[in-house]
Amino acid sequence: MREVEGGKISGRQLAALLVLTRAMAVTMTFPTAAAVKPPQDIWIVTLLGTLVSVLFVLLVARLGLRSPDKTIIEQAELLLGKYLGKLVGIILVWYWMSVACGAARELGEAYTVAIMPETPVLVFMVATVFLAANAARNGLEVVGRMGESILWVVLFFAALVLVLPYDQMRFKNLAPVLARGFRPLMLPTGTVVSFFLEFIILGMILPYLARPRDATRYSVHAVLASGLVMTWFAVALVAVFGPALPDLVMPAFSLSRMISIANFFERIEAVTMAAWTLSCVIKLALFLWGCAVGLAQVFGVSRYQSLVYPLGAMTVALGILSFESNPALQRFLRFEVFGVYSLIITVGTTAVLYLAAFFRSRLPLGRGLRR
Amino acid sequence: MLGTLWRLLFRRIAGVRGSGGTEPRRAEVLISADLSVNRERIGSAFGNSPDLVTRDLWTGARGRISALVIHIDGLVDKRLLAEAVVERITGLQLEWTDPAQAYEDLKTRLLASSGVEEVDTLGEFIGGIARGDAGVLVDGVAKGLVCALRGWEQRSVEEPTTESTVRGSKEGFVEALRTNTSLLRRRIMSPQLWIEEVTIGRITRTRVAIAYIAGVVNEDIVEEVRNRLKRIDVDAIHESGNIEEFIEDAPLSPFPTIARTERPDRVAGALTDGRVAILTDGTPFVLIVPATFTMFLTSSEDYYERYFAGSAIRLLRIAAFFISLTLPALYVAVTTFHQEMLPTPLVLGIAAQREGIPFPAVVEALLMEFAFETLREAGIRLPRVVGQAVSIIGALVVGDAAIRAGLASPAMVMVVAFTGIASFATPVFSLAVAARLLRFVMTVLGGALGLFGVAMGMFALLTHLTCLRSFGVPYLEPLAPLVLSDLKDALVRVPWWAMGRRPEFTGKKAPMRQAPGLKPRPPSPEREEVHRLLDTEGVR
Repeated sequence: MREVEGGKISGRQLAALLVLTRAMAVTMTFPTAAAVKPPQDIWIVTLLGTLVSVLFVLLVARLGLRSPDKTIIEQAELLLGKYLGKLVGIILVWYWMSVACGAARELGEAYTVAIMPETPVLVFMVATVFLAANAARNGLEVVGRMGESILWVVLFFAALVLVLPYDQMRFKNLAPVLARGFRPLMLPTGTVVSFFLEFIILGMILPYLARPRDATRYSVHAVLASGLVMTWFAVALVAVFGPALPDLVMPAFSLSRMISIANFFERIEAVTMAAWTLSCVIKLALFLWGCAVGLAQVFGVSRYQSLVYPLGAMTVALGILSFESNPALQRFLRFEVFGVYSLIITVGTTAVLYLAAFFRSRLPLGRGLRR
Repeated sequence: MLGTLWRLLFRRIAGVRGSGGTEPRRAEVLISADLSVNRERIGSAFGNSPDLVTRDLWTGARGRISALVIHIDGLVDKRLLAEAVVERITGLQLEWTDPAQAYEDLKTRLLASSGVEEVDTLGEFIGGIARGDAGVLVDGVAKGLVCALRGWEQRSVEEPTTESTVRGSKEGFVEALRTNTSLLRRRIMSPQLWIEEVTIGRITRTRVAIAYIAGVVNEDIVEEVRNRLKRIDVDAIHESGNIEEFIEDAPLSPFPTIARTERPDRVAGALTDGRVAILTDGTPFVLIVPATFTMFLTSSEDYYERYFAGSAIRLLRIAAFFISLTLPALYVAVTTFHQEMLPTPLVLGIAAQREGIPFPAVVEALLMEFAFETLREAGIRLPRVVGQAVSIIGALVVGDAAIRAGLASPAMVMVVAFTGIASFATPVFSLAVAARLLRFVMTVLGGALGLFGVAMGMFALLTHLTCLRSFGVPYLEPLAPLVLSDLKDALVRVPWWAMGRRPEFTGKKAPMRQAPGLKPRPPSPEREEVHRLLDTEGVR
């Protein structure tokens, strides 16, 4: 089969893409915030979730490195046979698509809620998805480079938001730590992990790494780095807002609203919002790319580029139709819905593939079938 | 998708190109032994133009041998022609009895110009004359001699007008190719400076030189330059700009992917980085490939001033570039959509100023931008004396009268004026133009969607720039892809002693450009001792 995508990216670009995808894209609404019951423990949840997620990413990377020149979709076909493999491929593409839908809608909602309430959410979604699709069409190489350069801008603004409200921070809001023990933190930890499950896209990127061996190292770094940034976010949120935290619609946005230095440097939320938008578009581009290449490989299409714009249009349509309103979207992002959904798909797929690989290597039948 | 549309559109506009040239095939015609036939043919080839000078000479024993000297008036050094050619033919060459002997003598020892070339086709002979050489024919010999005697009026080497610096060389390239290559040779004395020459243009036959440093340059890039130049098959090359448009990587992009300069020091610097220079006869502007985005934001002075100053000025310039690209858009976006971002007194002030303005901010911005660009263009094209009048009128019209007439607010005038000044801070005109054009797009986006629109515009721009390549080198090279070792000369310039490596993409072949550990240190006693020992042993 012809190479569907020809570009190569470096390990650093992979890490940049993953960090942008995870640490930045959801932070503005910080969906975990509402779920944690003693809200001051949210940072523990974030930290725990990150550590658990490292395991998952290690699993995905190991699976990918079994045959470093195949995407997870091609692998599924090799391991599970033609029809079952294609089915798994379609399920994965569907999952990435729903992640993209959620991100696009989230971005649109953030804008209509916070900055331009009179503009329909469709405007923002169409604009961002179009640009993301345009970037995705140019290949992973371009997306990777953009991620690498945007990461610094976004991290700079994230650092601003995290440091500058220092005069509002009351660190005693963090106490009492673990007031009700670990028990009530289990489910929220699941929420954090469920967002990290998006990293199954790593299975798609891995064969396009210049050195596939880098995948493990850089993706673990990316998980830890995004986990740290999010933990830092959580600490800052608790320190500034304290018990009021669960009532906020967009906690990180409100945090950037708190910045006020010398009555001059203040109300920069639109700027941080713009920087955050950039990272969101990168995330969209990455997942649209994943969908398109995955779909092309499932159906044996030689050029994935022609699939990107239609998939983008579907993303917008699904993003609009799936959620009635912002609260509906937030409900969807809770562990009970999205968490279980992505757990079943990603962990299920990975487990099935591991099992298949295990049996293929054990049974003589499998060895004969392996290419 | 957009790209495809563009291409379709352009193909319609450009039309399908016809093949074949109008060039008469003169090259195969041989030089005749009969002088009058040759004279006839050469004369008709030039349409008997009055500046074609043919001089009949009689020489040899009893003046039996007839010779012809042909040149174009004004392209030949006349004094040299008289001394080195005419005098040698006529001066008492009594021992010559037959033309072949006379011809041999002339070729091997008598003609005293630096280069004498023997040709046997009329095409080559005529070509030599058209280039400014003098041709010599002897009756009865079916060959001709082309003597290099080129000498014409040319501008002297002056300070370049477009890239002036406070510190650094004051030399600029001139129009003559040979002078320009000599300016380069004067800066790079090593024989490693290799120069190749090609002729482009069916009618203009412009000479184009490719210069690079052998052993440093990546041969693939040189080969690519050769191939791209070879493809050019046009009537005329008037300026390096013509060549640029034929060989650039992104012909549909507003951004330049080939750098150009009139400073020999800048070219020399690029050559030692492993880049390739393309010099075109007839223009002082030399092309440099591959070019990256950051090259367009540097000035040669950054490298001569101390690195603190150089880096600070460079950062300022980068900021100015972004201001020239986005400031009106940001102003429109903030005043239209995000008033809460400004301090309250400022918002009130702006609102009061805009009280009587009949347009929305975006229209006001576009109007003022348009007026400003028109003024600037008028100021550049007019004679200097009138130009000043224009700028005074412009300042009055745009600055004062527009405000009084209630067409624009003072804040907007300030924004537009500052944007204009910021765009002058971009050192390379072609990049400044790209920013000027895109500024209008950005302003519209900012007026339509606020900061979201500006962010989207920047994202689209970033996608575009990331896709660009210049002769195989990514356009945003040290930034995306991030090449840590090249960041030393991108946004800032590190001190020279830290510039150990050449740029990653162009200088791979000879990665180190200097010895390690050149950072100056205070003399320590032990080192002093070592130096003294070395000195006494005569090693140093």
